[in-house]
Amino acid sequence: MGQMPFETAAVGNVRVHVCPTEKFKTTTIAAMIQQELTPETVTKTALLPSVLQRGTVSHPSTLQLKRKLEDLYGATLHTEVFKRGERHIMHVGLEIANGRYLSESPKLLREGVAFLMEVLTRPVVEDGGFRRAYVEAEKKNLKQKIESLLDDKIRYAAQRCIAAMCDGEPFGLFVYGRTEDLPSIDPIQLYTYYRQVIETCPIDFFFVGNVSTDDAAALVRELFPYSEGERPPVEVNREQPTVKQVKEVVDRLDVIQGKLNMGCRTGVTIRDDDYVPLLMYNGILGGFPHSKLFMNVREKASLAYYASSRLESHKGILTIQSGIEIANYQKALDIIRKQLEAMRRGEITDRELSQTRATLSNQLRERQDRPYELIDFAYHSLLSGREWSLDQLLKGIESVDKEDVRRVAEQVQLDTIYFLRDKGGKSDGAH
Amino acid sequence: MERIEHRQLGETLYYEELPNGLQVYVLPKPGFFKTYATFTTHYGSIDNHFQPPGKEAVRVPDGIAHFLEHKMFEKEDGDVFQHFAAQGASANAFTSFDRTAYLFSCTDQVEANLTTLLDFVQTPYFTEAGVEKEKGIIGQEIRMYEDNPDWRSYFGLIESLYHRHPVRIDIAGTVESIAEITKDTLYLCYETFYHPGNMLLFVVGPVDPEKIINLVRENQAGKTFSRQEEIERFFPEEPDSVANRRNEIRLSVGISKCLFGFKERNIGLTGDSYLKQETATELVLEALFGPGSDLYQSLYDDGLIDENFFFDYSLEKGYGYSCIGGDTPDPDALLNRVQEEVPRILEKGISEEVFERIRKKRLGQVLRALNSPEWIANQFTRYRFNQSDLFRLIPALEELTPDRVNRRLHEHIDLDRMAVSIVKPLEE
Repeated sequence: MGQMPFETAAVGNVRVHVCPTEKFKTTTIAAMIQQELTPETVTKTALLPSVLQRGTVSHPSTLQLKRKLEDLYGATLHTEVFKRGERHIMHVGLEIANGRYLSESPKLLREGVAFLMEVLTRPVVEDGGFRRAYVEAEKKNLKQKIESLLDDKIRYAAQRCIAAMCDGEPFGLFVYGRTEDLPSIDPIQLYTYYRQVIETCPIDFFFVGNVSTDDAAALVRELFPYSEGERPPVEVNREQPTVKQVKEVVDRLDVIQGKLNMGCRTGVTIRDDDYVPLLMYNGILGGFPHSKLFMNVREKASLAYYASSRLESHKGILTIQSGIEIANYQKALDIIRKQLEAMRRGEITDRELSQTRATLSNQLRERQDRPYELIDFAYHSLLSGREWSLDQLLKGIESVDKEDVRRVAEQVQLDTIYFLRDKGGKSDGAH
Repeated sequence: MERIEHRQLGETLYYEELPNGLQVYVLPKPGFFKTYATFTTHYGSIDNHFQPPGKEAVRVPDGIAHFLEHKMFEKEDGDVFQHFAAQGASANAFTSFDRTAYLFSCTDQVEANLTTLLDFVQTPYFTEAGVEKEKGIIGQEIRMYEDNPDWRSYFGLIESLYHRHPVRIDIAGTVESIAEITKDTLYLCYETFYHPGNMLLFVVGPVDPEKIINLVRENQAGKTFSRQEEIERFFPEEPDSVANRRNEIRLSVGISKCLFGFKERNIGLTGDSYLKQETATELVLEALFGPGSDLYQSLYDDGLIDENFFFDYSLEKGYGYSCIGGDTPDPDALLNRVQEEVPRILEKGISEEVFERIRKKRLGQVLRALNSPEWIANQFTRYRFNQSDLFRLIPALEELTPDRVNRRLHEHIDLDRMAVSIVKPLEE
């Protein structure tokens, strides 16, 4: 236990990563496709997975496709897009039951993989493009999805803060794209784009379950037809802009609770030696219920129900989020800034250090018990080009000292303060 | 220690009831890193009117079970989270209508963490100052939910379905109701509902069951509890009808939300009949409203629903309801279609072919859920509190017949027992 549990095999130009295990009662298969995150492609990429799950050559109607999934003992087709730094990742995956746990003992794996590959490589095509009705319906759905960000004020505030902070950088783009791009997307252009993606973007297949590396690789070789030719790596901008002046942004909506979000540039990413001290920095500041933010904003001042910090390790951004009474804005902001200052001065107790070591290690180990988190963990390493095994991280956490954390803290720069508040009262701040 | 083997699933469960009445279950999961433990009392937000053994009947403020859950973490020497953190565990708790669960997960120091869990839940420490401080924190939790349209639409539905049953009261209460809470009312609730005889401990992970049960046995033997007596809980008489056919509010949202549901007529079940009714109803809802149904697909094609459309069925001793819906640009068009379609489905019934397909789907879903230690612990506890057994789910699905599901269809899906909850965007 402890080592990177995946074995990797190359099948032509794609990589197959397999974690053979009997821990789970299902097999999880995921195709991860990378692209550069750009304003020109973000909306098209976000649209692709939803169009793909509408129909395939053998199951051209969505109803047939859904029923096929039900017949496969409720296999679930996962399609989503997410950001990793300035990469836009498309994930198309399938989780399927292991038939040995059922009385009728069905053999499901091969059929499941074949189905997933069909979704990926044989969409319904008409007149040289995706089926028009599917594209139009999914454009409408995506528009709705983008607009419904407003319904979840916690996510809304988080995205608005990042967009303000990374204005002009690809990372500021919303993962689901921009509504203004939708009208001009047509089925032929989208299909052409898709062919380019599936034929030339880096693809990694992951398998987690009771399956051997040889069997998984053989299935990919047999069922994935695009493994010839070149897949040039995705190059991303790694420049870290320096902060000249702290941006302050206020949004006004009809809300009851205020959301205070802050964005910091840490200058450290998953590729750096200081990655582990950065994880510790985040843990001591706001990653846990014993952290400074929770203790000071919630427990001592009683200002919030949640107050925490989070890392985006590819871009090197740390965000802080809290939900507060609108009138307490200044009080909460002062307390949070004090915590950032304390971190910078290296005011970390032995207890904070040891608690964070223990809880952070625990968090990393726990991730090994969920198929998707296992995959996500391995994929972080792959994308960064710097392999961090679980053991390396755990050893790193044990040896980090206060000086290491302070060194990271010195580089952390507050970039943006964002506040979502009600419509009443006097206007203060920019926007 | 009793050993219960579920050969088909490859799981073995260990069980012991301790002399003080505490039920202890251990499910070893070799190969996992994580151990997950829940310590749950059969006490939730609906238990707001009761008779503590030997005392007068009382009515307590709304939201007190949840408030009590928060306050259990505060001790004379500080916050329990600190102890768990030092032992590398992640701790939490939640309160539902019927249960309050305290939990941790860890990959190291299982025994120390388990001891902390047992001890902190069995050592209340409530002070006036602590109670006052918590009102600010929970006040912000309530505010957070007030801005959450999913939560608001869900509670809007329950309020429409139920006239009087306390299930219609928000679990956290209101800022006004929690203002009435004092340390004395917390102690009263604690003494009544946190007796080991009203509680269940579930431990799942790479553990040695004998060691775990020994630890718990010794821990409990070192504490004294009064003899557990029957707790009398009072619930108002609930009319058969729905309280309100339609509930509509406006919030700052980008798109409307529309939920509808049917009020269960057949409640008060326990044991296998509880589990069988739940399973059969879930298949009914899947057949009618699942992504493989004609209705779902035509609503989706017409843009009246999106991929977030869902259904859910809740059944407990005193109440039961289904909840169906999601985001929609046009709640009325969606509801009209449902109301047109339902009578047709009732007439046709669910075919054997559809039954077979959704039964398979549900089997796969249960297997997937069994990957999750959290799901196992929480669901096992829920079934136990209804004298039923989680591990009967797969066999029950394998035994289910199309007839049974069709009977359930006619019993549950009744337009006269349907209510609707809508959240619309603010008018500009």
